[in-house]
Amino acid sequence: MILFALLLIPFSYLMLGLLIKKSGIKQRLALLFATVNFLWALALVPIVQFREIIVVQMGSWAAPYGISLVADRFSVLMLVVAAFVFFLTTIYATQSVDKARRKNGHFFFSFGILMGVNGSFMAGDLFNLYVWFEVMLMSSFILVSLGGERQQLEGSIKYLILNLISSLFFVAGIGLLYGKLGSLNLADLSQKMASATDNLAVLNPALILIFVGFSIKGALFPFFFWLPASYHTPPPAVTALFAGLLTKVGIYSLVRFYTLFLYYDHGFWNEVVLWMGGLSMVIGVIAASSQYDFRKILSFHIISQVGYVVIALGFFTVAGLTAALFFLVHNMLAKTNAFLVAGWVHRERGTLNLKVLGDMFNKSPVWGILFFISAFSLAGLPPLSGFFGKYLVLKAGIEADQIFITLVALFVGLFTLFSMVKIWMEVFWKRQPEDIAQPAPINLKPANWMLFSSVVMALAIVGMGLWAAPIVDYCQLAAEDLLTPSKYIDYVLGYH
Amino acid sequence: MEYVIAVFIGLLYACGVYLILRRSIVKVILGVFVLSNATNLIIFLSGGIQRGGAPFIPEGAETVDPATISDPLPQALILTAIVISLGISAYILALKYRYFDVTGTHDLDQLKNTDQR
Repeated sequence: MILFALLLIPFSYLMLGLLIKKSGIKQRLALLFATVNFLWALALVPIVQFREIIVVQMGSWAAPYGISLVADRFSVLMLVVAAFVFFLTTIYATQSVDKARRKNGHFFFSFGILMGVNGSFMAGDLFNLYVWFEVMLMSSFILVSLGGERQQLEGSIKYLILNLISSLFFVAGIGLLYGKLGSLNLADLSQKMASATDNLAVLNPALILIFVGFSIKGALFPFFFWLPASYHTPPPAVTALFAGLLTKVGIYSLVRFYTLFLYYDHGFWNEVVLWMGGLSMVIGVIAASSQYDFRKILSFHIISQVGYVVIALGFFTVAGLTAALFFLVHNMLAKTNAFLVAGWVHRERGTLNLKVLGDMFNKSPVWGILFFISAFSLAGLPPLSGFFGKYLVLKAGIEADQIFITLVALFVGLFTLFSMVKIWMEVFWKRQPEDIAQPAPINLKPANWMLFSSVVMALAIVGMGLWAAPIVDYCQLAAEDLLTPSKYIDYVLGYH
Repeated sequence: MEYVIAVFIGLLYACGVYLILRRSIVKVILGVFVLSNATNLIIFLSGGIQRGGAPFIPEGAETVDPATISDPLPQALILTAIVISLGISAYILALKYRYFDVTGTHDLDQLKNTDQR
C-alpha cells in the first residue's frame, strides 16, 4: 500500500479531472494532489532507511510471477525529488500557462506524466517499466502539442516519432530477453543472468536493444536529436517539467539496468557507457555554446549534464555511483529552476532570443539572482549544489583511474560556465538593444506564484550545497545497495 | 515455421525503416505502425511458437510438459503492446491531421523551423 499510493494519487486526480468541469477547482485539486504526492514520497524516506528495500507484490502473487513494486533508496530519492519538482512546477503553471491550456487539461496530462514517472521509478519488472514509460510518454506527447501552435506541432512530431522508435527498441529487447531467460522480473532476470555468466553473448542483442531504448529516452550522445528539436517549443512551464523529469527517467532506468544486468559483462559495457557519457558531455556543451536562444542553450545542457551522470555510472565504484546520484538530483533541481527563470523572461518579453533580450536584471533583480543561483550551480560554483556534484564526479573519476575522462569533465565544466555567462550577459546584464523590434510581452500581471516556486527551488539548490553531507551519505548508502544486486534480488524474491 | 516468421519480421522491419526514411509524414507514420507490428511479432516468436498447444493443464493433471504447450505470457505482452500502440496511433493521426490543418503540407522538410542550425 505504501508504494501503491504513489500511483493512486495521480490516478485519482486523473479520474476527478474527468468528472470536474470547472478549471478553478481542477487547479486547486492539482495543487492539493501534488502536495499530497510530495509528502507521501517524503514519508517514504524514513521507511526506506529502516527497511532498506520496500517491496510490494501487487495482488499478493509471489515475486517472479506477479507484478512487484520495488523501492530501494535510489528509487525513493528519485521519487522525492521528482515529487518536489512536480509540486513546484504545478504551482508555477497556475500562473505561467495560459488560461486556454489550463482549461484544456494541462494539469490533467501533467498528472499523467507524474503517474508514469512514479511508476517507472518503482517498477520491479521490465514489461511494467515499459508500460509506465508509455503512460509517461503518452501524456508528454499531448502536453508538448497542447495548444496546437505551428512550432509546437513541428516539435511534437519529432518528439513523438523518435520516442516511439525508442519504445519499439525497448519492447523488442524485452521480447528477446524473455525468449532467452523466460522471466521479466528484474530481480529474477538478474539472478538468472548470474547463473549463465559463461554464455552472456547470447543475451547481447536484447541488452543492446534495451540499452538503445534507454539512451534515446535519456538523450545520450548519438540519440539525443529529438530533445533540442522539441524542448523549446511548448510553454516554458511544460519544458521545465520535462527537463526535470523525463530524461531523468531514462537515466534512472539505465542506472538500474546497468547495476542489475550489464555489469555481468562489465568489460564490454563499461567502455560503451564511458564513451557515450563523455561524448554526450562534450557534444552537448559545444552545441549549446553556438545557440542564441535561452531554452535551446539549456536544452543542449541537459544532454551535457546527463553525460556527467553516465560517466559517473561508468566508473562503477561506490564513489562513482554516489556522485552519479547526487549529480542527478542536483541536475533535476538546477535545470528545472533555470527553465523556470526562462519562463518568466518569456512572459515579460514574449521572446527568448538572446539577441533581442537585455537589461532584465534592472527589471527584476530577484529573478536575476534566481537565475544566477541556478546557472552557476550548473556551472559548479562552490557554495551551490553543482560544486559538490562535480567535485564528487571528478574525485570518483580520479580514484577509479579514469584520468582522461575526468579531464574531459573538467574541460566541459569550463564550457558550461561559458554558456551560463553568455546567458547572464545577454539576458540580464547588457543594455536593451534599441535597434531591434521588441515583441509584445505575453502577460504583465505580477507573477508571485511563479516567483514563489522559483525561490523555493533556488533555496533547495543552495540548501543542497550547504548541507551536502547528509545527502551524500544517503546517496552513498543507495550506491552501496546498487552495487550489491544480490541484496535487491533477495528482497524482491523474498529470500530475505 | 520459425524461419518463415523470422524472415517475415525482417521484411517488415525493412519496410518500416524504408517508410520512416521517406519525406512524407503520412509514410513515416505508416512506417511506425509497421515497425510496431514487427516488434509485436518478435515478442511472439521469441516466446517460442507451438502449433496448437493451448496453454491449459488438463483436468485432473497436476503438471504438464512445457514443451507441448505454448507460453501464454508473450501473447499477453503483445496484447498490451497492441493496446498501447492503438492509443498512440489514434493520437499520432490526430496530430498529423492538426499539423496539416495548420501548415497545409505533408513534407517533413517543412519541419526545419525548430531544428538546430
